[in-house]
Amino acid sequence: MSATYLLSEFRDKDAVASAIDSLRAAGVSTADLDVFSEEPVEFRRGVLDRPSRMSLASVLGAIVFGAAATAFVWFAQYNYAVVTGGMPVFSFWGTGIITYEMTMLGAVLATFGYFLWESGLLRKGDATAPVPVVPPECICLRVRCVSGDAARPTVLLREAGAVSVEKKAPL
Amino acid sequence: MYSSIKQPELLPYGKIREDLFRPLSGMTKTYFAAILIPLLVILFGAYAWMAQLRYGMGVTGLQRPVFWGFYIVDFVFWIGISHAGTLISAILRLTDAGWRKPITRAAEAITVFALMIGGMFPIIHLGRAWYFYWLMPYPNSRLLWPNFRSPLLWDLTAIVTYVTGSVIYLYLPLIPDMAQLAEHNAPWRRKLYRALSLGWTGSDTEWHALERAMKLMAGIILAVAVSVHTVVAWDFAMAIAPMWHSSIFGPYFVVGAIFSGLAALMIVLALIRKLMGLELYLTRHHFDNLAKLLLLMSVLWLYFTMAEHLTVWYGNDPNEMVVFGARTRARFAPLFWLMVSVNFVVPFVLLGIRRLRSIGTGVIASVGILLGMFLERYIIVVPTLSNTRLPAATSTFYTPSWVEVAVTVATFAGMIVLYLLFSKLFPIVAVWEFKPHPHEDDL
Repeated sequence: MSATYLLSEFRDKDAVASAIDSLRAAGVSTADLDVFSEEPVEFRRGVLDRPSRMSLASVLGAIVFGAAATAFVWFAQYNYAVVTGGMPVFSFWGTGIITYEMTMLGAVLATFGYFLWESGLLRKGDATAPVPVVPPECICLRVRCVSGDAARPTVLLREAGAVSVEKKAPL
Repeated sequence: MYSSIKQPELLPYGKIREDLFRPLSGMTKTYFAAILIPLLVILFGAYAWMAQLRYGMGVTGLQRPVFWGFYIVDFVFWIGISHAGTLISAILRLTDAGWRKPITRAAEAITVFALMIGGMFPIIHLGRAWYFYWLMPYPNSRLLWPNFRSPLLWDLTAIVTYVTGSVIYLYLPLIPDMAQLAEHNAPWRRKLYRALSLGWTGSDTEWHALERAMKLMAGIILAVAVSVHTVVAWDFAMAIAPMWHSSIFGPYFVVGAIFSGLAALMIVLALIRKLMGLELYLTRHHFDNLAKLLLLMSVLWLYFTMAEHLTVWYGNDPNEMVVFGARTRARFAPLFWLMVSVNFVVPFVLLGIRRLRSIGTGVIASVGILLGMFLERYIIVVPTLSNTRLPAATSTFYTPSWVEVAVTVATFAGMIVLYLLFSKLFPIVAVWEFKPHPHEDDL
């Protein structure tokens, strides 16, 4: 069965939230719903939550970069051991700043990389999905459904307060 | 029509977009002149640097025992200015301060440009600038590695991390604005904005990711910004030299950096408000809040300065007292007391007395603070090195040569050019952050 897209336009976010609730109750998966707006729209908890592992990615990036930098400095200090007058060849007191800065650099790069991945800007997962042009002051809700089953979601969208609902085929 | 509006967020979105995108198009004579004059200054600065590269460090005023002079002062000054943006923006974003919206991008841009300029000075100061890559840890025929225990290496890693973080922190909230600009611009601009906006569509997945990334980056960048100026302070504090070997140098420098950064931000905001006609967006309220922050930092700066000098005076160590005396009652005293006046007395009067506080007085106080903070760095760097401690060494009076002055002035011109170019290419106020929520239209 081929997919089709319903592009609906709303004037306020409560109507969008209500449409999302009805669609999910009717069996539409969260993965098939996308909200488009010119500013971030915050819904109440439970409506279109998008779980994220960005914090974890950031911490992992920090650990990997910090550990790699420390290991490299340790290697470099022993690879060409300078005369230290009895002081340790490798010391965290002397190189801790490098570890710290590289840890932070790892966190920065991992956060940015994960942002590109999670936002879909790099993946471009569903390239065939039509992107609605969002008029000022409007919020658009895109629903992906099976071609033959578009009637019920269309009714639900209108009932929730959609100003317009347009059916579009994949690009 | 809109003159009585106190919250620019409540303006119609169409007007916000028009007002904030308008400065990007067209090229006025004023803009052309504003960019041409600093470009000429930069050219002269480049000529001076070329002279230094050709004839060696002898063309500067640096001579034994003063090996650190204007270039190191410039380095500390510009790294300090860089704290204007990312740090202030991150604090305001994390605390969700509503008044941050029109000032964050202007501030973040200062950070990136000031870091680029500040980061050049260690290379200029090297003399043989073409060997700067020796700082990089790469396998080489001499089987040598950089000395990771050197504060110079700490500086390199701290600045690289801060530049990377600041560029990303500036870039992330630019993406939605660039996506909007991509639809409405000249062909070359459309291509540029399309490429930079990475195909942003405004979906909730993208917004969620952007907001999460901004919050995380704000936290990370705060930790990095504090560390960067602390590391700069440790360039001095790690040396067992009079009036440098101090445990409070780290926080002292961080406070000074935020102080000078805020002053730079105040001046830049007042200029773009006037030149770009953004009176509706950069209101007196924003300047009033910045003035209060400046006042707070002025008092903190005085506290640290007093703490630093009082402990030295009370300790009465002969080596330290020579430098203390040079600073407070001998050859550097005029500069020292001028610094105290413009960093504390003037802001305290102009910004502390409510009747006197205005955008104009804020700018006057800020110009004074920038001068004062430049003097502070000069007073930290030069007197310690001028007063020798070896019996056979002779003390010298360091004065910067025309080369150092030309390079220094050129960096200020560089800042102006970079800022003007940025403000012509990208909206200086984040448009999407201003978008009114539909329910606010009724207010």
